[in-house]
Amino acid sequence: MRLKTLVAVLGVGAVVACAPVQSGPTTSGTDEQTGQLRVWLFDEVNRGPKEAVVKEAVSEFQGRHSGVTVDVQYIQVASRAERFKAAFSDPRSAPDVAEFGNTDLAGYVSAGGFSELDLGRWDEAKDLVPTILDTAKVDGKTYGVPWFVGVRALYYRTDVFTELGLKPPATLDEIATTAREIRQKKPELLGISTGGKYVFAALPFIWAQGGDIARQDGGKYTAAVESAEAKAGVAQYAELIKDDICPPATCAGNGGDASVEQFRAGKAAMTIGGDFNRKSVDASSAAGKYGVVPLPGRTAGSIAPAFAGGNLLGVLKGTQRRTLGNEFVQLLASKKYQQKMYAAMGNLPTFADVQKQVSDSDKFLEPFTRTLQAGTRFVPVTPAWAKIDAQAVLPTMIQEVVTGAKNVDAATAGAAQAMNAAFAS
Amino acid sequence: MTEALVLVIAAVVAFPLFWMVLSAFKPEDEIISADPVPWTTRPTLASFTRALTVANFGRYLGNSLIVALIVVVLSILISFLAATALTRFRFRGRTTLLIMLLVVQMVPVEALTVPLFFLMRSVGDSVPAFGLNHLGSLVLVHLAFGLPFAIWMLRGFVAAVPVELEEAATLDGASRFRFLWQVLFPLVAPGLVATSVLSFIHAWNDFLFAKTFIISAVENQTLPLALQVFVKPDQNDWGAIMAGSTLMTIPVLIFFVLVQRRLVSGLAGAVKG
Amino acid sequence: MSLTARGQGRTAFAYLTPALLVLAGLLAYPIYQLVLISLYDYGQEQVSGGAPLHFLGLGNYRKLLGDQQFWTVLGQTVAFAAVCVAGTLLVGAFLAILATRVRTWVRMTLFLAALGAWSTPAVAGSTIWLFLFDANFGFVNEVLGLQGFSWTFDKWTAFGLVAAQVIWCSFPFVMVTLYAGIKAIPGEVLEAAALDGASAFRTAWSVTLPLLRPIILVVTIQSIIWDFKIFTQIYVMTNGGGIAGRNLVLNVYAYQQAFAASEYGLGAAIGVVMTVLLLVITLCYLRALRRSGEAL
Repeated sequence: MRLKTLVAVLGVGAVVACAPVQSGPTTSGTDEQTGQLRVWLFDEVNRGPKEAVVKEAVSEFQGRHSGVTVDVQYIQVASRAERFKAAFSDPRSAPDVAEFGNTDLAGYVSAGGFSELDLGRWDEAKDLVPTILDTAKVDGKTYGVPWFVGVRALYYRTDVFTELGLKPPATLDEIATTAREIRQKKPELLGISTGGKYVFAALPFIWAQGGDIARQDGGKYTAAVESAEAKAGVAQYAELIKDDICPPATCAGNGGDASVEQFRAGKAAMTIGGDFNRKSVDASSAAGKYGVVPLPGRTAGSIAPAFAGGNLLGVLKGTQRRTLGNEFVQLLASKKYQQKMYAAMGNLPTFADVQKQVSDSDKFLEPFTRTLQAGTRFVPVTPAWAKIDAQAVLPTMIQEVVTGAKNVDAATAGAAQAMNAAFAS
Repeated sequence: MTEALVLVIAAVVAFPLFWMVLSAFKPEDEIISADPVPWTTRPTLASFTRALTVANFGRYLGNSLIVALIVVVLSILISFLAATALTRFRFRGRTTLLIMLLVVQMVPVEALTVPLFFLMRSVGDSVPAFGLNHLGSLVLVHLAFGLPFAIWMLRGFVAAVPVELEEAATLDGASRFRFLWQVLFPLVAPGLVATSVLSFIHAWNDFLFAKTFIISAVENQTLPLALQVFVKPDQNDWGAIMAGSTLMTIPVLIFFVLVQRRLVSGLAGAVKG
Repeated sequence: MSLTARGQGRTAFAYLTPALLVLAGLLAYPIYQLVLISLYDYGQEQVSGGAPLHFLGLGNYRKLLGDQQFWTVLGQTVAFAAVCVAGTLLVGAFLAILATRVRTWVRMTLFLAALGAWSTPAVAGSTIWLFLFDANFGFVNEVLGLQGFSWTFDKWTAFGLVAAQVIWCSFPFVMVTLYAGIKAIPGEVLEAAALDGASAFRTAWSVTLPLLRPIILVVTIQSIIWDFKIFTQIYVMTNGGGIAGRNLVLNVYAYQQAFAASEYGLGAAIGVVMTVLLLVITLCYLRALRRSGEAL
């Protein structure tokens, strides 16, 4: 009996006294000026053009700094979360510079991953579009340089519209009616291809109605998806995923890529696609037969607020080459190289003057730059967003409404509860 | 009649694999088409070329092979000794140990990635070859996860060897060591083959730990990670995925075919206990 | 020259040392850490961000057990695992018996096909099945004339599809094991049954299967452990848990709610709960074994 008590006490003691491992943020003291600079960039479907531009930047950088080599690794977007978390937990595995999505920023900062950047001494910085620069800030501090921005607009099949004598929708309501009419007359087509998981297509509907998914009250976020306006937006978006427009069986599980894929395959009359989808649509069966207009708002002539996606370049906190890292970021994100990246990949630049330059010379970008100028919105800038995203709160909400599992009130209530739990943790 | 039924079933079972290999040889436009057919008139090696060149396949194949083979060899040796100890000897705590071996198989592996990550990090501080970003960490982890199952499987086979054999050997003057390696080991060979095949498959197909431990040293990635390259956001390269999957499955299949007779008798003996 | 009890213990310990070292360091210690983590509020901020640790005691467990979705997913997991295990055993046993009654080359063909299914990596296998059952481009829909029918949309067809895939890649283990077991039954036993006038079916049911009971129990327990922890097939084939998460099983739920969201404390709690559940099942098995007279 005594032995058992002893074991029990030891057991409890072991549990209570010990604690899980932490690695803690490392700010290394050194700032080497030579050696190898490690860079992580995202892999692309067709990496060639991007690699070429980056190679140029690398040789320019290596030319400027003797004794410095730059090692660039292309990582998979799909597994980036685990890669970055591992890098934060083990600074030795971490790169010095990395490309990352702006929605991931807040989570990475709270994980002690990226270091604050001082853009004050970079004179090109003043030309960065303010709303885009905001997506690189957490609590007013800048942690990255926006490398490119991506917004979405309405792609439509010009041939189908001409054949049926239709005009591209001028208001949000018209999207549903136009789509329905097309599918009625041409049942083999989806009226509009969008999906239950396509959050960035659904958000403009909520925003255009005057609602939002979350509201900030002095630093704390609370879910706002239960407001009447937000519910109206959700209901309006869910209306599109119905048998008479985009049947749930086909569309409920689709995210952005799958939705655009249907348009590329010639199976949809409209879709919500990004400026970054242009190259792949041009390489598909819909090439030459499509046009783009900004996603309309509630009233004719207005534009629904779009989500400002994009990637940033930042310097990791545990780097031993802080100055070099900063300089490389400023080089790769400079106006010169953003322009090259636009030419190679079609990435929209983040500098106001370069944006104007690029859209003046390319008619295709016009609806996207108009969308940008009409004002873009973003997701809550808090580490809780990474949780909400991973837990698929918003896709689940949309899918519940679309399949009839819950009505809009119940679905938004469930989503609000999950979001508030994440915000509070 | 029975034979016809068995052959039909065999065909159905083999069909997905056949489709995978077929798709690897189909030209791009035939893979994703509205009228897929179970044959192709224009077989091509283009997908294989893409799979082999784009992803630095050879290197990753080598990595996977090294890890799997080392795990198999170590696993055979260690589990043989442990199974012998647990079957042939009586000592306090034997039953508890056996039950523990069963319990650890129940822990979901995904849950252990965080503690193991930090463990490997610490190990890497002292012995770099076994730490993060090195293949040694994968060897350690697969060894650890394969041992409980291997020991349980081998137990039955060791138990099937009659005690009289050992007594006879000792009467003939053989030392314990000699008996172990020259008599018992060959007798349980089929069982060892069965467990080694399963260890091999487990280490070969692992994606989770390779993804967790190999972070910055891309040259040390294993084959499953290499295939991820073809799962692109915009448009999966199905041909290369199928070709890569085929290349991944073939070595295991070969391994299987070579040992299948031993495998059958191995499994029989193993589950007797 | 038989060893004394002390000597036995010492030799046994020597033989066990390599295994114990590996298992203690790489399995026992992390499992201990896992239990520890489940008692804390442990996220990426704590792991790498230097945020302070917050001891929650049983907080994670309370949150988990109070979550309605957890119970739904648990029920689904148990049911799904049960179907997979039953299906695997039935298919494996049926084919094992058939395999004993055909010529060698026919049996070898079957075994080769089964080995092919067994050796396909989980990701590749799931992908190829998804491919074959694609709504628009799948061969199955073309043959059945169901163009456009989505197997992965409806909750039950999705579960059915994944279960079929799991059974496909799991039955070889059962089939080969049971076949070997049947082969080990002394011929006289089966001959005696035939002499007594038993039909093939009755022989299988009343003579063969009871003799195989210990083997069946072992493969059943292994199958239960494996199928309860299924992750890859569900994740790949239902695109992360199905529409509105209705195809979730525990391991995928844990990944989505905890690991992907960096809530490692909660994830560890789910891991512990899953282990305990499987342990309960195993204890039932051990009890059944003891009742049937098997020594451990």
